[in-house]
Amino acid sequence: MKILLAEDTKDLSYAVTVLLTREGYEVDAVYDGQEALNNILTNGYDAVILDIMMPKMDGISVLTEMRSRHIVTPVMLLTAKADIDDRVAGLDAGADDYLPKPFAMKELLARVRAMLRRGTDYSSDMLTYNDLKLNGTDLTLSSNNTVRLSLKEYELMRELMQNPDTPLSTSWLIEKVWKNETDCGEDTVWLYISYLKNKLRAIVSPVSIMGDKGGEFTLTA
Amino acid sequence: MENLYGNHYYRLLAFKDDLERQLDKMEQTLEAFCGTNIIDHTMGRIKSEESVLEKCRKKNIEPTPDNIVKGIRDLVGIRVVCTFVDDTYKVRDAIREFNNIEIIEEKDYISNAKPNGYRSYHMIVKNEEGYFAEIQLRTISMDTWAALEHDIKYKKDINVNKDLITAELKRCADELASTDISMQTIRNMINGQI
Repeated sequence: MKILLAEDTKDLSYAVTVLLTREGYEVDAVYDGQEALNNILTNGYDAVILDIMMPKMDGISVLTEMRSRHIVTPVMLLTAKADIDDRVAGLDAGADDYLPKPFAMKELLARVRAMLRRGTDYSSDMLTYNDLKLNGTDLTLSSNNTVRLSLKEYELMRELMQNPDTPLSTSWLIEKVWKNETDCGEDTVWLYISYLKNKLRAIVSPVSIMGDKGGEFTLTA
Repeated sequence: MENLYGNHYYRLLAFKDDLERQLDKMEQTLEAFCGTNIIDHTMGRIKSEESVLEKCRKKNIEPTPDNIVKGIRDLVGIRVVCTFVDDTYKVRDAIREFNNIEIIEEKDYISNAKPNGYRSYHMIVKNEEGYFAEIQLRTISMDTWAALEHDIKYKKDINVNKDLITAELKRCADELASTDISMQTIRNMINGQI
């Protein structure tokens, strides 16, 4: 896990770097906003910690610039200012979390862990369940073989894989996958469930979908 | 051909004819049973001299008629092209009941597609005289794919970007497999099987 730390107070930067490194993270430490942005644009990070008050470019501008370029890496803002307007501006600019200084190192670590956990849930294009892999980039479903899914098949499979071993009702699936389209009924859901059942068999996965037409469907292994 | 295969050539031809006859009969029985023709077409061939010699080079076999007949198991090749995926398995089950042949080996490249995306069901069979034949079962879309892949493999033209073509062929194979199953599912639904 690689983290970018942008904090212009050298002592604090050093302390946080040592702490994160000891926890097993790889840390790049930079000391102004411009340098932070350059690093974000040229390297891949799992998380970014930005001080708000920094020379050359402040943390919120770095964050705004990042988000405008569709970089969705989780960001935590640090600042001495416990000002409410500042926090709101940071969160509105796309920050995932906010930690006012002074903070306890223990809390910083816990927040970093929480942010990384969320980060993999949000932005991961790959869902897995048992031996099954659902790839959101090219819409493929793989086990022993690979098949490419249609968009609706992918969206239905994603709902099932995000809620494995949980019965999902036909009406819930119509709402989530078909956004309550008027011409979509239990026939449509059943046909798409049937496509996926057969495709799971075709890729020789032990995973299957339980349930009958009009009822609840459960992804299970 | 007769030079390469010697006296075996006409035995191999007879084996091919026998398999084709049995397939014909099977097609009629299945049609009566299923109410619809499940086979699009079948095709038989004796392996060309060129590919036999190439295979001998690869397998390090001296190309004498006896060596060839013993060492190469697809001298007689039969391809059965079906309309739907499930039908390929129906044909397989019927072939298992054929007279005068022994099933030596079966490979299910439909359930275990090759890394390049190739899908087909392969059976190696042997007749009572000890000659081998390979029977390939596939759907129309698998057949179309294999024809294109075959063209690319033997194209000497270096101008095409082989990596790109290979990746795109793999993508098409997975899409076709998916469509084959969608069609099968729709057919099952029409027939009231789901």
